[in-house]
Amino acid sequence: MSRDVAVVGAGMINFGELFDQSFDDMAEQAYLNALDDVDKGIDADDIDAAWFGTLDIAGNASSGLGLSHPTGFFEKPVTRVENACATGSTAFRSAVEAVRAGSTDVALVLGAEKMRDSAGGLIEGAALDQVWRGRGVTMPAFFGLRATRHMEEYGTTREQIAEVSVKNHENGSKYPHAHYRFTCDVEDVVDSPQVTYPLNLYDCCPVTDGAAANIIVSEDVVEEYTDDPVWVAGSGLATDTFERGKDESLVGFPATSQAAEQAYDQADIGPEDIGVAEVHDCFTITELVTYEDLGFCEKGEGGDWVEAGHPHLDGDKPVNPSGGLLAKGHPIGATGVAQVNEIYEQLRGEAGDVQVENDPEYGLQHNIGIGRNATGSVSCINILSKERP
Amino acid sequence: MYEPPFTRDRAANERLEARECDACGWVSFPEYREICKRCGNVGEWTATELEEHGTVQSYVVQQRLPDEFETPLPLAIMDVPQVSGGEPARVYGLFTETDPETIEIGMEAEADFRRVFDVDGLPIHSFKFKRPRGDRL
Repeated sequence: MSRDVAVVGAGMINFGELFDQSFDDMAEQAYLNALDDVDKGIDADDIDAAWFGTLDIAGNASSGLGLSHPTGFFEKPVTRVENACATGSTAFRSAVEAVRAGSTDVALVLGAEKMRDSAGGLIEGAALDQVWRGRGVTMPAFFGLRATRHMEEYGTTREQIAEVSVKNHENGSKYPHAHYRFTCDVEDVVDSPQVTYPLNLYDCCPVTDGAAANIIVSEDVVEEYTDDPVWVAGSGLATDTFERGKDESLVGFPATSQAAEQAYDQADIGPEDIGVAEVHDCFTITELVTYEDLGFCEKGEGGDWVEAGHPHLDGDKPVNPSGGLLAKGHPIGATGVAQVNEIYEQLRGEAGDVQVENDPEYGLQHNIGIGRNATGSVSCINILSKERP
Repeated sequence: MYEPPFTRDRAANERLEARECDACGWVSFPEYREICKRCGNVGEWTATELEEHGTVQSYVVQQRLPDEFETPLPLAIMDVPQVSGGEPARVYGLFTETDPETIEIGMEAEADFRRVFDVDGLPIHSFKFKRPRGDRL
């Protein structure tokens, strides 16, 4: 019998350029913060198993031991998860599935990434040896290709794309864990240095260190930890590639629609039921097309939708109240876990200065990643709910 | 000097050899898969070749790249037709000798055989795209 799963604790560290902290320093603190967050307290010995999300950018966490060393969590199952930029959310999803299936009652999810110890960042990620399938394709190029086509096909303007950055930096300025706390306007984004036409510097997320953790439990033990749990209502995970020839993949990411369909089906809801979302805005255009791929608006209407203020903090469907990857930062393994944490806090009404005011019943978390054959994408989505499903 | 991956890929990289799925018409390029990535059909393919030109589906102009690349570098998603008709292959195309300002979605571009990069001194050859000569600005 499948069991319901709840989040009962969430912790993270302040994201940023953390040259004074090691990978283990970050992971340890995120873990301790998650334990501290559990309403009725938790004994570390209660944890049955752990899922550890990291791309191991800095080369010091290639197995489950990367979690064990900083947390002291030995002698039990630790599964290291890597799924490109969807690593954190896939780690969370994997833990949820184990608890659902009954093999685990209390699970730890921890994601961490040391991005700034090497200087190359996203540009150095360009494949050098892939003829036809991604030689010279940087991250801004992969996502920028959707921007050029979206503007041509739907008349989306450069200024509408910039609105995503303006919104997320506004939110980030109020979010205590964000890497960037400054605000900007549309002109700042449009006038910032060009990275890859049509995207400029302020269309891109920064290179950020960070760690985040949460504790999930089964329905059987939830009352031991809190009277105010947040439940996991649904989850989805899918891959696709533009090589398969769908024109949708020129203006968005079919993997996101596919993962969303799975997650909505599992939760027995539709996009209209989502009250708040943390989505993957590695670049402005990524968030804009994700509105459409998640069904928040019709295909092609993302530009108008953000310009009209729907995803703003005071809008009817706030997206990235935490400032998103653009302001909060994108320490890859930690990103999805931190997004889940933010949805958890929003649904509990504990999100402080970025608390949404539309009293959401459901919140959605979304990551998208690309692989070495840089034609495809992997999307992972988790939906949390205030009420038990 | 022996570079197995590039030896395996020569038919595609140097001669634009591809395969068409007999079940759904999808073009496998530059890979030679047995399993169709679109319909899942296994093992029924017809050999085909791609034309030395294609149509720009979308593009970017990269200003920041590792040292191996010249900038600005235009990069496109291209539909490259089969010589025998049917569906095109959809692939990345690197541009050369083309003013980035002149690239447009829907534009026809020529594919030119070029030295694309070196692996430890071994030159790897394949195709780059450019505006057709008669139409150069």
